[in-house]
Amino acid sequence: MSFLLECPRCGSRPVDEFAYFGEVTRRPKGSASLRELTEYVYFRDNVAGVQREWWQHRTGCGEWFLAERDTRTNEVLAIHLPQPERAQAGGAE
Amino acid sequence: MRLPPQPRERIDRSQRILFTFDGKVVGGYAGDTIGSALFAHGQRIFSRSFKYHRPRGLLCCSGHCPNCLMTVDGVPNVRVCVEPIRDGAVVEPQNVWGSLERDVLSITDKIGGPFTPVGFYYRTMIRPRRLWPVYEKVLRNLAGLGRLRKDGAGHTRYDVEHRRARVLVVGGGEAGRAAALAAAALGPDVVLVDETADLVGHELEGVEVLAPARALGIWEGGLVPVVAGSVLHRFRAERIVVAAGALDQPLVFPGNDLVGVMLPGGVRRLVRDFAIAPGSRAVVIAAGEEDLEIAGELREVGVAVPEVVDLTSTPARRIEAHGRKGRVAAVSVDGRKVDCDLVVASAGRQPAYSLLAQAGARVEYDESRGIFVPTNLPAGVEAVGSVTGEDCVTVDPVRTTKGAGGDKCFVCVCEDVTTKDIARAIDEGFDSIELAKRYTTVTMGPCQGKLCQLASIRLYAQATGVGEAAVGTTTARPPWAPVELGVLAGRHFEPARRTSVHFRHEEAGARMMWAGPWKRPYAYGERPEDEVRAVHDSLGVIDVSTLGKILVEGPEAADLLERLYPNRFGDLRPGRIRYGVLTSDAGRIMDDGTVARLADDLYYVTTTSTGADSVTAWFEWWNAVWGYDAEIVNVTGALAALNLAGPRAREALGRLVDDPDVVSAESFRYLDAKALVVAGVPCLALRIGFVGELGYELHFPSPAGEHVWDRLVAEGARPFGLEPQRVLRLEKGHIIVGQDTDSESNLLSAGMQWLPKMDKDDFVGKLALEHFAERPERERLVGFRMEEDVLPVEGAQIVVEGRPAGRVTSARRSEAVGGVIGLAWLPPDRAEEGTRFEVRVDRRLVGARVAHGPFYDPAGERMRA
Amino acid sequence: MSVTLDFLSPSRCDPDVLVSPLARALAGIDPALVEDLSAQGKVEIRGDADRVEPAEGEELIRLTPRRAFLLTSDPLAAVERLRAAGVRAYDVTGGYAGFAVRGERLMRRLTDLDLERLPAAGPLFLRVPAIVLRDDGDRFRIYVAQELGHDVVLAVLDALDGLQALETAASSEGGA
Ligand code: FES
Ligand SMILES: [Zn+2]
Repeated sequence: MSFLLECPRCGSRPVDEFAYFGEVTRRPKGSASLRELTEYVYFRDNVAGVQREWWQHRTGCGEWFLAERDTRTNEVLAIHLPQPERAQAGGAE
Repeated sequence: MRLPPQPRERIDRSQRILFTFDGKVVGGYAGDTIGSALFAHGQRIFSRSFKYHRPRGLLCCSGHCPNCLMTVDGVPNVRVCVEPIRDGAVVEPQNVWGSLERDVLSITDKIGGPFTPVGFYYRTMIRPRRLWPVYEKVLRNLAGLGRLRKDGAGHTRYDVEHRRARVLVVGGGEAGRAAALAAAALGPDVVLVDETADLVGHELEGVEVLAPARALGIWEGGLVPVVAGSVLHRFRAERIVVAAGALDQPLVFPGNDLVGVMLPGGVRRLVRDFAIAPGSRAVVIAAGEEDLEIAGELREVGVAVPEVVDLTSTPARRIEAHGRKGRVAAVSVDGRKVDCDLVVASAGRQPAYSLLAQAGARVEYDESRGIFVPTNLPAGVEAVGSVTGEDCVTVDPVRTTKGAGGDKCFVCVCEDVTTKDIARAIDEGFDSIELAKRYTTVTMGPCQGKLCQLASIRLYAQATGVGEAAVGTTTARPPWAPVELGVLAGRHFEPARRTSVHFRHEEAGARMMWAGPWKRPYAYGERPEDEVRAVHDSLGVIDVSTLGKILVEGPEAADLLERLYPNRFGDLRPGRIRYGVLTSDAGRIMDDGTVARLADDLYYVTTTSTGADSVTAWFEWWNAVWGYDAEIVNVTGALAALNLAGPRAREALGRLVDDPDVVSAESFRYLDAKALVVAGVPCLALRIGFVGELGYELHFPSPAGEHVWDRLVAEGARPFGLEPQRVLRLEKGHIIVGQDTDSESNLLSAGMQWLPKMDKDDFVGKLALEHFAERPERERLVGFRMEEDVLPVEGAQIVVEGRPAGRVTSARRSEAVGGVIGLAWLPPDRAEEGTRFEVRVDRRLVGARVAHGPFYDPAGERMRA
Repeated sequence: MSVTLDFLSPSRCDPDVLVSPLARALAGIDPALVEDLSAQGKVEIRGDADRVEPAEGEELIRLTPRRAFLLTSDPLAAVERLRAAGVRAYDVTGGYAGFAVRGERLMRRLTDLDLERLPAAGPLFLRVPAIVLRDDGDRFRIYVAQELGHDVVLAVLDALDGLQALETAASSEGGA
């Protein structure tokens, strides 16, 4: 892997400066059945296509962000900063 | 012997340069290569072949074939035909037993021997199995491509240079130079890479020339690694122009590897660049005008050319070379024998498409011209010149496969693969080119298929009758040119994290060991148990600067920690400390440490020594999801930390602070966090007891590390290392995350049922813990004592009623407890206090009993003192 | 009892008791080659970095809108000033080793950061996170975690060695 990834702060940088933190998952709220828990903890879609995933510009500015990447070509279609849960809740009020 | 000065010669006849070859002194001129100087000196045999040890001479003279590989200054496999000459170089032939002229092993060529059949190593050497080590040793000596020096002498510094280019041109021929100049006219940052030394010293306006240098491949994002000497230039190029040119293709006929059979390009270089006549009587067999012109060029410099064969106009002809002592002496063309000492033979020129193919281009067969051409170039990559197929044409390179003299026809000179080998592989059912490659190793040698790909495809097409397009090419993989592993590895750089007290440990004679990314003292002397005793009886000090240290500050700091940890931290009072364990949402134990509340909105978190970075990232990531108003600041490196422990700790610390009362038992209690000034240095002092005695962990600015250490040692604290600390913590039954726990361990099985606060709305790991609580426990972490004084290894098997039932995670001999103690995972029904089980130690089963609670000072009076 | 963050600041100690993390690696090395800047004050700033006005002689390096790095000769005063203005500031002077070197060629052997677009944060030798600044001309300043400083500087010295060997070879060629 040698592709370039866009950091929302630093621009295009070699992918080895980044830490990959996997697909975006949906965390059950409140309590979860064993099935829901297992789905969330262990199962991943692993799509051959566009996937939303977490990245951190680890050896750079340190920012955490989300990327939409085509897993077949490593093309990154979009990046954005996360919209934190609490900011969302605040916005809804 | 040199020709009179040639118009374009590269040598400087006023500058003699001397080097040694096989122990003898050889001279050449500045501008020579080692190969050209040797040739001018009369050397004709340059190497012995891979399997048959046949003599080989210069073939391509442009760094593409295996024929001139030698060891230069201890570096094996140097292509001397392109290696610039230098004063004092030590050049030695390789893959030779005896001398180049009389190689003992050339007997394998005559009688066959183990190497003759194709695929020999897949078949011949497998039985009897026990002899394989012997075979292997012999094979290594017989076959092979030079040797490495085992003494490590000749160490080279390999470096990487990170470069950017707007336009990177690979190939410095006419087309490449034109492309570079055109690009330079439009803007800056144009770099031209050429594998020959031809362009050294030439000015190309606005273009940086990197030569001799080889581009290894083209990767995503315009990454092109280029090797120049011992430096790897990692180019990031916006546009890449490949002008790799075309490659002369050898003809296949009996005796086609004899010394004196050369490719037109090589002949031309010898004459034009180095003013050397490659022979005295030459026969030219070629296709296409350009290659046939070589006849005229040779005549011009006085070489007789009695015969010129144009393969384009006269298709089928029988060709066979006849040799004497490995050198060509005559060639017969359709039965007519012509004496000669040079055969210029070529099937034409094939585009050098590999870089493009490997970058993602398709390669298609052009029937009319007999060549493979690259198409569908990836974005950002262009091709110019002969690599596109321009001016390229080849005739069938396979002329004759059986001669009257019975000599071998080589398809691949690197791996000594003959037409017979290919025919045999097809017979055996290896009927695709990819299979043939792996079975016969054709195209897998040092030339990487440059000189044998086309011929082997043609042979396959003929033998299987399917046509070249259907046979296809083998996959092109980087590196496209051979490269030293050292260049790829780069500088040996494995930086250790060193605490600010590091050199004090070294000065005190500590045995340093890797502990994750850190270097830490194992122990200061041969007897770690003495260090343990010092802590129990008097006073010790250990450098714990490696602990992760994280500040969490903000109005919602408490909320963030409440949600990250199973523990409760909202009710922790400022100035107090609590042990904390981090779990994942799968419920597994990830890290542990202490959390001190410094103020309402400020916490100080410590992690394990390996956990600093990952816990920081973990906190930050969760907070990117949640968005609490709290900063997470990793101050691990900013602070040194020393743990002063032992019954005398209070008294010693008291002498280093202004007012000893601030450390009195009443004002500085167990699990208090306090600001102190120790020996003039502002400290955060944490009263905790990881090693089981009265102790203070002092956290203070790193640059003062040596100073505070020196003062504590001067107060009589004996330095202790990691090993004594492991004994001490085990005596207390304190776990080490990652050693005593693994990816299956959760808080319940690790015996920390008291820790998670299940009434909290949410915390990371809560969902899983709820389910664990409902499920029957599978195993439990407990302490044990051995019945005998034997020490099980970590990971030792536990046996109950003859069956494996668990494992030991830690075990140490403890003087204070009097015996061997440890921690182990056991089935829950075996975890009762006093239950007996057996541990496998050196093939023997030794009895042990479960022992709950700390082994040493169970009530914790000493650390609370 | 609350505890303040005084324990972060080396400037609260007698300067004589402080030792640079690069002291041993750079002993006997000409500062013109590699200059030790570790003692310089460094303040990490969190929150709205736009609200920070660097004072005279201070340098502000913005890493993200919420994270910045302030280089200052007086970190105590800087932290106090910033905190008073409601900015979260941390004296991380002891956390970073700093050094200055000269030459683009050397820098290209240390980092693949774009030297035309500094200051920036990125890796050295492709692995070690660093903050890299460029001064007028070809002087560069580099800050890395202090615990890695010793080994990083040894590698920088080795890279310098390699370049000097090249240069001497080139000049002797030119002279002949
Ligand atoms: S003769 Fe040197 S590589 Fe072909
Ligand atoms: Zn970034």
